[in-house]
Amino acid sequence: MSASSAALTFELVAKCSTTRARASILTLPHGPVNLPVFMPVATQASLKGITPQQLENTGCRLCLNNTYHLGLKPGQEVMDAVGGAHKLQGWDHNILTDSGGFQMVSLLKLATITEEGVRFLSPHDGTPMLLTPEHSISLQNSIGSDIIMQLDDVLVTTSPDIVRMREAMERSVRWLDRCIAAHKHPDRQNLFCIIQGGLDLDMRRECCREMVARDTPGIAIGGLSGGEAKDDFCRVVAACTEQLPDLKPRYVMGIGYPEDLVVSVALGADMFDCVWPTRTARFGNAITKNGVLNLKREMYATDFGPLEDDCGCPCCRRVEQEGAMGITRAFVHHNAAKETVAAHLLTIHNVWYQLNLMREARDAIIADRYPAFVREFFSRLYPDGHGFPSWVVDALRGVGIDLLET
Amino acid sequence: MTGDDKQNPQPQAAAAPMKFDVLKAAIRDAPTAARLGRLAIAARRTVDTPNYFAITSRGVVPHVTPDNLAKHLSDVGGAYMALEDFIERPQQYLKRPAPILQTPSLEFPYSPALGPRPPLHSFTAMPPSVITVLAARRLPAVPAPMGNTNSSVSVFTSTGFQVLTTREYADAVSALRPDIAVPMADLTDKALTPTSKRATRMAERTDDWVKEWFAQLDASNSSGHTGVATFAPVLPVGFPMQWEYLERLSEDYVSASTTNQKEEEGETTRKNHLAGLALYDADVIPDLEDAYPNLTPLPRLSLANPTTPHHVLRQIALGVDVFALPFINTVSDAGVALTFTFPPPPPSSDPSVSRLPILPLGIDMSSPTAGLATDTGPLLAGCACYACARHHRAYVHHLLAAREMLGWTLLQAHNHGVASAFFAGVRAALRAGPAAYDAACRTFAAVYEPEFPAGTGERPRARGYQYAGGAGEPKRNKPAWGKLGGPEDDVAAVEQKKPRGGKTKNSNGAIGTGNAGADIVDGSLAAAVEAVDLQEAGAVPEAQMDGTASAQALI
Repeated sequence: MSASSAALTFELVAKCSTTRARASILTLPHGPVNLPVFMPVATQASLKGITPQQLENTGCRLCLNNTYHLGLKPGQEVMDAVGGAHKLQGWDHNILTDSGGFQMVSLLKLATITEEGVRFLSPHDGTPMLLTPEHSISLQNSIGSDIIMQLDDVLVTTSPDIVRMREAMERSVRWLDRCIAAHKHPDRQNLFCIIQGGLDLDMRRECCREMVARDTPGIAIGGLSGGEAKDDFCRVVAACTEQLPDLKPRYVMGIGYPEDLVVSVALGADMFDCVWPTRTARFGNAITKNGVLNLKREMYATDFGPLEDDCGCPCCRRVEQEGAMGITRAFVHHNAAKETVAAHLLTIHNVWYQLNLMREARDAIIADRYPAFVREFFSRLYPDGHGFPSWVVDALRGVGIDLLET
Repeated sequence: MTGDDKQNPQPQAAAAPMKFDVLKAAIRDAPTAARLGRLAIAARRTVDTPNYFAITSRGVVPHVTPDNLAKHLSDVGGAYMALEDFIERPQQYLKRPAPILQTPSLEFPYSPALGPRPPLHSFTAMPPSVITVLAARRLPAVPAPMGNTNSSVSVFTSTGFQVLTTREYADAVSALRPDIAVPMADLTDKALTPTSKRATRMAERTDDWVKEWFAQLDASNSSGHTGVATFAPVLPVGFPMQWEYLERLSEDYVSASTTNQKEEEGETTRKNHLAGLALYDADVIPDLEDAYPNLTPLPRLSLANPTTPHHVLRQIALGVDVFALPFINTVSDAGVALTFTFPPPPPSSDPSVSRLPILPLGIDMSSPTAGLATDTGPLLAGCACYACARHHRAYVHHLLAAREMLGWTLLQAHNHGVASAFFAGVRAALRAGPAAYDAACRTFAAVYEPEFPAGTGERPRARGYQYAGGAGEPKRNKPAWGKLGGPEDDVAAVEQKKPRGGKTKNSNGAIGTGNAGADIVDGSLAAAVEAVDLQEAGAVPEAQMDGTASAQALI
């Protein structure tokens, strides 16, 4: 089964017979991407110290850039002159950009949102400025990303103000219409809508209906990962995926912990992004199937094993193999927080881990053994078989997996 | 290395761990004493000389991961390492032996093709093709406030100054098995010329230490010492101050096989001998050649820190074979892309240009006025390096402006590529003959500016082990972030604050909410990294976002 729009083809390869997990191929202007997928975040057109070639070698075919940051540096004029973000960073694969709205609200004090757009003070000189849906799309058109996001009215999901929440949801729908009208390159850039509505499931469902009616090439679930309880997060994702059409990619924004990915895939989501794997790398943390290791701890000073046993990343593979480095925990410990190379190595490892987790999940879905994959995954994190977080147990139970069953 | 020498391609016998051949010796009374050579070490890539080795910091070429070093800096034949980068003693673990000394040598996969992997290569993940050079101190070394003693030097680790004895150093060398080791020398590490009294003591101590070094090597000969080539230090003092020491090197430690006598003299009594010279000052070479001709066939490694390619050419003319070149890392950190070639580009054929233009040695890639922001050309036209092949000036300029770490990585790839091409050009000119070489050198001196341009961009954060700041010295970089609403936060001063709680993009909100107001831990990369992180996470006040004129473009 597949569906196409002007600049995208979505082919559903397999569906899990127990959960809502799906395996698919998303073909974008810069090539196909296997879903489910984790998208690392190259905020300022660079994935924190590693070369685009190193990123490519992790298997990444779709990464993020941030519109807000690229709008400031190098700026729209430079972007137009250089010919877009792909040319700027020498990346021949796909790019997704956010709308810039999230950073407006999260980075800037005193951003006020009106029907017209987001008013904020210039980080340059403090003069009042305005980011409108039209301007966000214009910036993203200049960036030339394969997937662009609508400007949405972002509100903390935990906000108790139901009136404001409804206003934000309805405004996001109106802004989507303005984004669609302003979008200059629907033939080569895919505009995704963003479903809002806080933690109110009815409001989310209503938003889904409105957004789906506008038939964007893909659909994002936004406003999450803002400090809400994990139970609430799972309920929102499940409520949305239930309503969404099968033949469109579903992107849950801002999600990156391995547990979150595995559960969200079971709930029927396809795409995820988060800065956590690359940021935690720079704090000296390695993500492994047995949990996160803080390599700055003294216990790793003389640990001459690989970052993760049996890991296939260029850091962990044995040195005599092609392109492998044979990095030890001791070496990363030696340089963590002292030489940038340690951060680069952990970045490569962590990105590889996240992408590989989704590759393995995809293989499991295609083999229709995703429930077994989920059990294996959680049993490695909780080897004594108990202590599973209750939100995980509840969310998985909702899609037919009982982790506690022996 | 780049296959530019065709003669003498014999593979190295396993019995001779290091071999140095002078392919084209200096001609007496020629304008230059420069020579062509080939340094071959078993299981490493052969290095044609004159050439250079990269300087490492804590076992890595700064900003370059081992895979990039192997793939994109593949002309770098060697890496200089300092033991002081590996032996810090954290306060809580004062008694523990340095982790690097516990590196297992056999647990690592043994590959017959690569040969056994020495612990120093293993620990630092250095590509097998790269020659390692180990010395006690970084290059250039931070001067120690307390001097050296008769049996130890002061070294500067990431946890402060500490004492390293000659015995500890020799033990570390035998445990780590670098390809080349420089015995400890009594150096002041200061720009000032030592007094004659101090110079005499430097020579005496170094003489004692080198004697002790070889005695220890001979005593433990059956162990791992074979395979480590000793490059004896030549001190940065005049020849008259150190001739006794140099004479001992010449008389006691030069093996028969490395002298010019080709006839068999049987096995020498000493199994360990001098394999090369590590020169802290290249100006001693002419005296050395005159006084001790049996030292002439030895490879000469310059640790004299030439500060520009002009200085490099001068030292090549004195007879240096291999350089450790700190300026490449410094120039990359300054955001400068090297632009010199050897020989220099031919002068313009335009007859109206009467005199040679003066060319810069590099470009300041941070310069806002040079039109770099939209320049999609390579850093240097015709450069074959990875950065020039895959990226362009506009990207490097953007990365430096955004303080993205990849900017320095790409500059390292480029600048090492330029240095490799420079030495390849020097070798090609030398093959063409001393006269042609001399002419090319004179043009180079006339055509290029004497100094590198100053980089105007911000440097990566300096860590404590790189330099010891003096009292009252201003910070190198402005703080990347500070307290929200703090004095430097000009916008906050006039406007009310908006709480940012729960605004992170992270599923747990673990990062970016609580610690935005924490103080910068100066001198720590963690702080720099964290600053970037918080920016990304959304906890940085806008005044810190370092907006550019392009901020207006958002409207």
